[in-house]
Amino acid sequence: MPNIKSDNPLIAGKNMTHVPQPCTLVIFGGGGDLSRRKLLPAVYNQALDGELPANFAVLGFALEDMDDVSYRDFAKKGVEKFSRQAVDDHHWPDFERCLHYLQGSFDNPEVYQQMKKRLEEIEATFGIPGNRVFYLAIPPALIETCVRQLKAAGLVMPVDDVSPFSRIIVEKPIGRDLESARQVNATLCSSFDEKQIYRIDHYLGKETVQNILAMRFSNVIFEPLWNSRYIDHVQITVAEEEGVGTRAGYYDRAGALRDMVQNHILQLLTLIAMEPPWSMSADVMRDHRQSVLNCLRPITSENFDQHVVRAQYGSGFYHGEDVPGYRREDGVSQDSTTETFIALKLFVDNWRWAGVPFYIRTGKRMPKRASEIAIQFKSVPPILFNANHDQPLEPNVLALSIQPNEGLSLRIATKLPGAKLKVFPVKMDFRYGATFGEQSPEAYERLLLDVMAGDASLFMRRDMVESSWSWIDTILNTWSSSRTRWLPEYSAGTWGPLEADRLIENDNRKWRLL
Amino acid sequence: MTSKNFVSKVITHPPKLVKIANIEAELDLLWAQFNQKINDGQTVMRACMSNLIIYCDNAEELQVISKEITAIVDVHPARVLLLMGKGKPKTGNLDASVAIYYTPQPDGWQVCGERIDVIATEDSTERLPSVARSQLIGDLPTTLWWASRQPPPEAKEVFFQLAKLANQIIYDNMGWTNPAKAVAAMTRWVSAEQDVQIVYGLAWRRFSIWRKLIREVLDPQVAPDALANVRLIELDHGPHALPMTWLLVGWLSSQLKWRAVEGKYISDSESVWRFRHNHRDIKVIARRLPKGNPLIYRLLFDWDGEKGRTCFERLANERIGIIEALSTVPPRVFNAQTPNRATLVSAQLAHRDRDKVFENAMKACNAMADVFQK
Repeated sequence: MPNIKSDNPLIAGKNMTHVPQPCTLVIFGGGGDLSRRKLLPAVYNQALDGELPANFAVLGFALEDMDDVSYRDFAKKGVEKFSRQAVDDHHWPDFERCLHYLQGSFDNPEVYQQMKKRLEEIEATFGIPGNRVFYLAIPPALIETCVRQLKAAGLVMPVDDVSPFSRIIVEKPIGRDLESARQVNATLCSSFDEKQIYRIDHYLGKETVQNILAMRFSNVIFEPLWNSRYIDHVQITVAEEEGVGTRAGYYDRAGALRDMVQNHILQLLTLIAMEPPWSMSADVMRDHRQSVLNCLRPITSENFDQHVVRAQYGSGFYHGEDVPGYRREDGVSQDSTTETFIALKLFVDNWRWAGVPFYIRTGKRMPKRASEIAIQFKSVPPILFNANHDQPLEPNVLALSIQPNEGLSLRIATKLPGAKLKVFPVKMDFRYGATFGEQSPEAYERLLLDVMAGDASLFMRRDMVESSWSWIDTILNTWSSSRTRWLPEYSAGTWGPLEADRLIENDNRKWRLL
Repeated sequence: MTSKNFVSKVITHPPKLVKIANIEAELDLLWAQFNQKINDGQTVMRACMSNLIIYCDNAEELQVISKEITAIVDVHPARVLLLMGKGKPKTGNLDASVAIYYTPQPDGWQVCGERIDVIATEDSTERLPSVARSQLIGDLPTTLWWASRQPPPEAKEVFFQLAKLANQIIYDNMGWTNPAKAVAAMTRWVSAEQDVQIVYGLAWRRFSIWRKLIREVLDPQVAPDALANVRLIELDHGPHALPMTWLLVGWLSSQLKWRAVEGKYISDSESVWRFRHNHRDIKVIARRLPKGNPLIYRLLFDWDGEKGRTCFERLANERIGIIEALSTVPPRVFNAQTPNRATLVSAQLAHRDRDKVFENAMKACNAMADVFQK
């Protein structure tokens, strides 16, 4: 359970894990893209919906030359463009009063003293009892500097029953391999207690991702089937339409494996494959997800080619328009061997999942933006309705769509109307947007509130990050030892290279058409 | 919470008069006709999360609810049974009509509501539960929204019969003419049904923003003595909002463990209560404003006279301002949009957990009613 203490009698009877506490949100990189596109719109939506604590303020901190007034203008433009709710001119003036800005360099100790003073003034003005959330929306290279400066300036409070809380949110990537991830974690843990650290993966804040847990553990019909006896295989697809865009500098050093698989996709996999937790508390949930990571079968150089395909997009068509190949993109070197696509076959070596392959694919410049987890069940026996070997029945598939439309569908076989006994697959569809008719909050909204409430269930713990890097490192090491100069290409606007098709077709299976 | 920028796309047509025995068949026919009309290869799906029985007892109320149903099924697809007692059917003792509600989807259409209206004469009102019983969809949760101005237990048999069909009962105390009597009757009934049904007052949701702000602004971390030492509360409310005000005070008294000692009207528009806690008196004064909406307009919380006083005040453009006495804190203003009734109902349809805090507040209201001098 989160470390929440309250002697407020008006809270008695409420579930404290969902009560955001009064605090100041300090956004490092407050003048940057993440802040403008996601964080400030998230805070604004929470304010409009009445979800924010009454005693709350934001302090943006960055190098950009701004003051409170220009920062509010910056925030308004971001909200106007990216918020799910439009700016309300009646409420904006009330909201913007909570926005403040501090200009300065992240490595300047004097600026941190100014920050401390500024925070005390803000806290006095807004009735905030010293609780602070530091959001590091900055490049990974700056994490160490910021964390050490925060500690040196006395801005990190101890975890005890009397001090106000200090919490820190760290964005991915946490390192670029196991060693660097350990360094980042060591840096964080040198100044903050693990209970104060929230490693964010915004995928975990999405409704459908959370619905994986609800679906598995609040319906009796799925869990008995959720094992190698009934499940043939699992497919996880995270497809992006865009190319590398303006992120070439970062992406060319990272690639799809680091950018997508190490964090988002392995986290999705843990939710699908975890054992039923005995409680929803943060550590129990994370222990169970960690157990899955512990069971991932290493991909070694001996079996590498049967389990991993990487590729790069070449030129092609995107929505009918010519687009360049990866090596022709701005900021990408012409001899880059960074993968923009990866397909993996992996196994979770435990009793439940013995022998069930998990096929994963993710890439850029694919035909459409789509993220989906598909559980394909085993075929019915080849008798009765499935007796025709030339036309076997399609197996049942439970597909969880994460984006763009959050929802789930179940493919079942049903009889076609008419005198003949013909069976046809139909899809039962459930979409969040359509069924509930209301907008889901953005993932960042949910996760920010969780941090304010002290609920770390949907955040990654140190051991999870390191375990996933440990598994990823075996692949990275094989790649680095192979000294590849050329990667298979796939045309932009397609579902990946032929090698990826072979990876799954060799097992007599097929990628799903999304 | 639904975005206020959300634009409903729900479409419906005027209800079609049908025989009660044919309701199900007529609904099927409407769906088939709609499928045929589309006839362009698109699919029509049906979403249904609940049965919603609505009871009202006059034509004006029925008109208002008719418009609200669109907003409700947009958020919470449902089969809606709109029942009106004491009505004037066009034919015989009972009139029935059906309609469907649907929304366009990217790859087809979705039926999000099936509506069945049944209007009964006063003498036939008691037959309405039998109609409801036959029209509910099995395997779905059922909610009764008691939209009559008559407090539910006072309606006796028709309410009790409909309540038996429901997992949850939603009522609204706005406009109750004798709050003390109605609160007492409702609380007694809720106590008796405690383990059977979930009962929910819309007023509870209507002032949830007040509860949140009071809870957070007066939190002991922020205002250390406020809740422990409160001695006076002044409340200003609009016409028809006394029951809501009563519930707010009931919530405070149950959470802060106050014991109701006495209560009385001191004028046509003003009532006062005295509570006791830790050998201390707490006085609560509620004043009805001469005009306005049925809302709470102002709440003054006094725990140390000039030094410890916070005033919550409703401002223009659906906002609440907070002013703290002798504080360097400038007035703060929060979004306090008053949700409309359809939003309150649709939100409540999805929340089927028993709310112990609400139930305790109801019990405290009953204690207040017991000491109130009529």
